[in-house]
Amino acid sequence: MKFSIQREALLKPLQHVIGVVERRQTLPVLGNVLLNATKKNVKLTATDLEVELQAQVNVAVTEIGDITLPARKLLDICRTLPEEAQLDISVKKDRCLVSSGKSRFTLSTLPATEFPVIDKLKTPRKFSLPENELHRLLENTGFAMAQQDVRYYLNGLMLEPTGKLLRAVATDGHRLALCDLAASVGDGESQQVIVPRKGVQELQRLLEHSDNDVSVEISSNHIRITTAELRFTSKLIDGRFPDYTRVIPKSLDKQLLINRDLLRQALTRTSILSNEKYRGIRLDISKNNVKIQAHNPEQEEAVEELEVDYSGDSIETGYNISYLIEAARVVSNENIELNLQGNDGICIIKQPEDSRSTWLVMPMRI
Amino acid sequence: MDLDAFFASVEQQKHPEYQGRPVVVGAQPGQRGVVAAASYEARRHGIRSAMPIAEAYRRCPDAVFVRPDMDRYRQYSRHVLEVLETLSPRIEAASIDEAYMDVSGLEKLMGPPEIIGREIKQRIHTETGLTASVGIGPNRLIAKLGSDYRKPDGLTVIAPQQVLDFLAPMPVANLRGLGRQTQKIFERLGIETVEQLRTTPLQRLQQHLGEKAAAGFSRQALGIAPDVIHSGQGRKSISKETTYGADVRDTTVLHDTLRRLSADVARTARKEGLSGRVVTMKIRFAGFETYTRQYKSTTSTHDEREILKTAWRLFQDSKLPKKPVRLIGVGISDWQDGQPAQTDLFEQPRQQEDDKQVLKTIDAVSEKFGKGLLQVGAPRKQGQ
Repeated sequence: MKFSIQREALLKPLQHVIGVVERRQTLPVLGNVLLNATKKNVKLTATDLEVELQAQVNVAVTEIGDITLPARKLLDICRTLPEEAQLDISVKKDRCLVSSGKSRFTLSTLPATEFPVIDKLKTPRKFSLPENELHRLLENTGFAMAQQDVRYYLNGLMLEPTGKLLRAVATDGHRLALCDLAASVGDGESQQVIVPRKGVQELQRLLEHSDNDVSVEISSNHIRITTAELRFTSKLIDGRFPDYTRVIPKSLDKQLLINRDLLRQALTRTSILSNEKYRGIRLDISKNNVKIQAHNPEQEEAVEELEVDYSGDSIETGYNISYLIEAARVVSNENIELNLQGNDGICIIKQPEDSRSTWLVMPMRI
Repeated sequence: MDLDAFFASVEQQKHPEYQGRPVVVGAQPGQRGVVAAASYEARRHGIRSAMPIAEAYRRCPDAVFVRPDMDRYRQYSRHVLEVLETLSPRIEAASIDEAYMDVSGLEKLMGPPEIIGREIKQRIHTETGLTASVGIGPNRLIAKLGSDYRKPDGLTVIAPQQVLDFLAPMPVANLRGLGRQTQKIFERLGIETVEQLRTTPLQRLQQHLGEKAAAGFSRQALGIAPDVIHSGQGRKSISKETTYGADVRDTTVLHDTLRRLSADVARTARKEGLSGRVVTMKIRFAGFETYTRQYKSTTSTHDEREILKTAWRLFQDSKLPKKPVRLIGVGISDWQDGQPAQTDLFEQPRQQEDDKQVLKTIDAVSEKFGKGLLQVGAPRKQGQ
């Protein structure tokens, strides 16, 4: 294999795929990046056996070939070379020579045949949607995924293509985020798949705010998303997502509207004096007024009052303030709608006149 | 109070013929494994804890090699604590062979610290036949260092005004929280003794150790340390473990054992009104290789199903070596007491209430007819 490439052209795809190269791998080859050089381009692939990332760069190749190279070392060499440097990469026997100007590096290699690649998905459901829309879907829900929960099926994002919708749901049992995206998701029955947390986070990092279409393929055990520059493939979590429809109340009787920025700021300030471990706060809601209160083991106290539009009975409820802040952070409308149900009840956050997203927070007994 | 060569001394009590002979507790020579404890006679041959058993055998082939008998050691340990309790209720067992005791105020009853120390040693010896080394100081750190100062059978009293002189010549390695990495940093800085540490500018320490660690070690160098004794009532964890007669490979057997142990732990927790957020799974393979894995949940539990589920998941997910298992155990800790409780979407309060009824019933049946007869989701044995 032999080709010549400009530093920037190689750096970008390397940075794209490096996220899945683990620092401590179980298999040595997982610390490497796979290079497939065909006549017109070079494909770079990295994997942690759960998530696979592939980026592609167009470049004239003198000698085609496949090889794997130590990923972080190659990235670091690339990164630290001067801007617009020209790199010559060639493989002789089991060594790879990277040279640029007066710098020369000889890297160890492992054969490409040892690198585990996920090939074509078996009979996938296929559809496409705009990149920024998919990005928004993940932003609106991803934060509510569980982390290392014993209920392993919660450690990921549930995607459900159904009819003319792609729905995403994430929950850690304490809060839940649901978002719908209008998209023609292809024929076939509705289907639920769970994308593991690591994969969702990589996708959030990689997707851009462009309105180009990305293609989505879902098979029984993989999901693959292909953009102009990248191919993302992830295993799916083998498990059944809980019946979330059962736990979302159809309607709650108490409803109030708050300015999003004022609420965010008040919550952020209050959180400073909430118990660092439990993050509990009290919401006292009375006529046209919301009082947010926190105190900590040092007996310090924070009280914030907000004017709101509310005329129902007084309600008192405790919540984990981090859950409220994280939900309020992704609301794009300038107002936030809080739906409540009596004392110590569930809280449903919505955007006014927008039924696409629902955020739900379970109460905390304080 | 620190019991001298504890495991080995217990063996010498149990087998008077071992007295005066080098005794090594741990694996058997010819097997893999390490030394768990060595008697002072064995230490004279250079045998130390954690040394490979083959090495110990090479150094002293005539030593008595015995397998550890943890149940017996625990019995002795409890007995020693009971002896200490005859002197003061403010006792904290720090490990199986170490305990802290708050003796402030005892002077009026018993006399100066030396007398109290001698009395402690005397009573332990009369009651159990074991010797202990005792250190008395103004706080935990100094007392502990005092108990290590003259061993075996030592008694060291450090009055507050002697603390600085007592610490000065000690190697820094004696301080708390000093691991191999920190030791390397100290070596690089040329700090060997506490005295040298004390004269090193704080800023220099902060550069190399970070702010928190630097402050911690400087405080220790000045002999400043906590003096609170967490006495017996507040137990920190509940755990149960089983050592198999023959090593086990069959995962269904391991799962069954964990189910039984989880039920034991859960029942004890309910009896004591405790509920823990952390579940710990402990496993020891043939040859003493021991692992513990913990999972911390946001909600607490004293439900055997929950404990079993978590412990089993820890067992399966921990990428443990696939080897025959010698011991398996489970425990819970990190109590939730009147702390905020996050409710869960998928475990509704109603179901939680029902569960409480189930658990109450199990407890009542166990109380009346003996434990283990009624279990949650226990498999039916063949032929029953």
